[in-house]
Amino acid sequence: MSSVPTAVQTDDPTVVPKPDDGGRGMLDSRVSVGLQRRVVLRGLIVAAVVLVAGLFVPDLITSSYYMGVAADGVVLGIMAIGIGFLANRSGLISLGHTAFYGGSAYGLAIATTHWGWSPTSAALFAIVGGTLLAVAIGALVIRSTGFGFLMLTLAFGQALYAVSTLTSVRSVTGAFDGISVTYPSDSTTFLGLSQADLGQPDTFWPLAWICLVVVAFALWLVGRSRFGVTLEAIRENEERARFSGYNTYLPRLGAFAISGACASIAGVLFALKASYVSPDVLGFQLAGDSLIATIVGGFTILIGPAIGAVLYIYAQGKFGDTGNLELYMGLALIVAVIFLPGGVTGWVVEQLRRLRTLTAGRKEARRS
Amino acid sequence: MSGSAVLEATGVTLRYGAVVAVDAVDIAVAPGVLHGVIGPNGAGKSSFMDALSGRRRLSAGKVLLGGEDITRKKVAWRRTHGMARSFQRTSVFNSMTVRTQLEMVARRNREEDLDSIIAAFALEAYLDQPCSAISYGLQRSVDIAMALIGKPHVVLLDEPGAGLSQEESVRMMDHIRALCTERDVAAVLVEHDVDGVFRVCDEITVLSLGKVLASGKPAEVRADPVVIEAYLGSQA
Repeated sequence: MSSVPTAVQTDDPTVVPKPDDGGRGMLDSRVSVGLQRRVVLRGLIVAAVVLVAGLFVPDLITSSYYMGVAADGVVLGIMAIGIGFLANRSGLISLGHTAFYGGSAYGLAIATTHWGWSPTSAALFAIVGGTLLAVAIGALVIRSTGFGFLMLTLAFGQALYAVSTLTSVRSVTGAFDGISVTYPSDSTTFLGLSQADLGQPDTFWPLAWICLVVVAFALWLVGRSRFGVTLEAIRENEERARFSGYNTYLPRLGAFAISGACASIAGVLFALKASYVSPDVLGFQLAGDSLIATIVGGFTILIGPAIGAVLYIYAQGKFGDTGNLELYMGLALIVAVIFLPGGVTGWVVEQLRRLRTLTAGRKEARRS
Repeated sequence: MSGSAVLEATGVTLRYGAVVAVDAVDIAVAPGVLHGVIGPNGAGKSSFMDALSGRRRLSAGKVLLGGEDITRKKVAWRRTHGMARSFQRTSVFNSMTVRTQLEMVARRNREEDLDSIIAAFALEAYLDQPCSAISYGLQRSVDIAMALIGKPHVVLLDEPGAGLSQEESVRMMDHIRALCTERDVAAVLVEHDVDGVFRVCDEITVLSLGKVLASGKPAEVRADPVVIEAYLGSQA
């Protein structure tokens, strides 16, 4: 992670680049924290390559079952990387992201089915609505930390679940029956995809994949930005951050809102794919699933939770076949938490690091 | 002196329930002046710092920064308006590199010349190491360096020598003395090391059980019979 020291470390376009000073440790008097153009460009290239490569996944996975696993995994993964972002950047573990996921799924279903909106504007409405909900809930819970935060987010998520099942809102949410997403007309499309296309894993895939890559890239940018550094400082030592002149409430709220926006995008994708929304999207089961996927994948790495989510959906299918889904999922979680403290991706990174020091050591030995 | 004081606090009182930790303490510090606060354990030195810096709300009294009443201002506001502090228990950003955190604080507090602060604390060689990986003494330096970023008018230093070796502590005190003069900062220094305080400070306040026992130039304080009896006497 350590950045290569360069003489010109500034993202201010008005600054004329100065000659390299040989990479000595002294600081440029201009401030160098934040997004450097070269780093951003490199990230953009990586994201573009990954994005294009991912579009070929349906050509590789011919089984529609596994394609479904991949698509569901990516949708859950978008929510999970949002949860992981909050955990990593702010040290806050949320069990309430179903509020934004489910809220936006219902938003899409209600806007299309009851209000006759096009799925495109309904999707926008749902994502904005889910994010605003995150701002509102975040404003109330973000001052708490640790278990307090965990329980408060859970409480808000469950409250929303309870609301969705009320008989008095049955005409809107369908209560326990849920709502079938109905588009204004059969010819209505979402970004060129018909409702039937959205329901098919291989035709739905590009949409989900593009969303995942765009969300991951956006989070990566935020994490590396000055705002991301501020968040890290607040996570590390909130008191010192305040004594360094930072208001710590608003950045934390910002991180929560960003994280909620990810869950909202995932919720919309879910509603588009399933064309059916029930209280399950607000339920505790999903809150647990998304958090477990985040932990299993490992949130020290941005995309860890997304990988965790795909593994999670895959394992759920496999373990479900045995008829003992909960038992095996529980065992798998225990193994992951005990033996893979950084999650699957944390473990892989650790092995790579070890391998690198090993080969570096051998090279050193050969030289001497 | 108090006419030109940049930090002026009057009647500073801090109560924890029935206990009065700081009892109507006055202080006035002018730019470039290093003001030491000494006293036995439990004298209320750290509480006094918390009161001045806004970490704790005053039970009574007033704190003025450059003539402006900041008693009710939040710590973040105080920092960006010229009042900084360091902590008795080193308070840095452990996971972040020295460079990242210094730059972050510099940006927030509009420091133009971070290099000179880095040089003053000889941190050049450690810039790319995370704070958790450097020695305690260096963390201390980072802590105090962060407090000096942005040319604050007032710096409150809570036992900068705590946890340092005798030698390191002496060097740290000399350093603070020099920086205070160079940067024209009004500094309040709480310290256990009484000899160090008498050596480097321009003015000294002696606290005992939350009250001011004596206050003035080092020579006056040293000669004060009350101080000798209550505090210094036992060590002489």
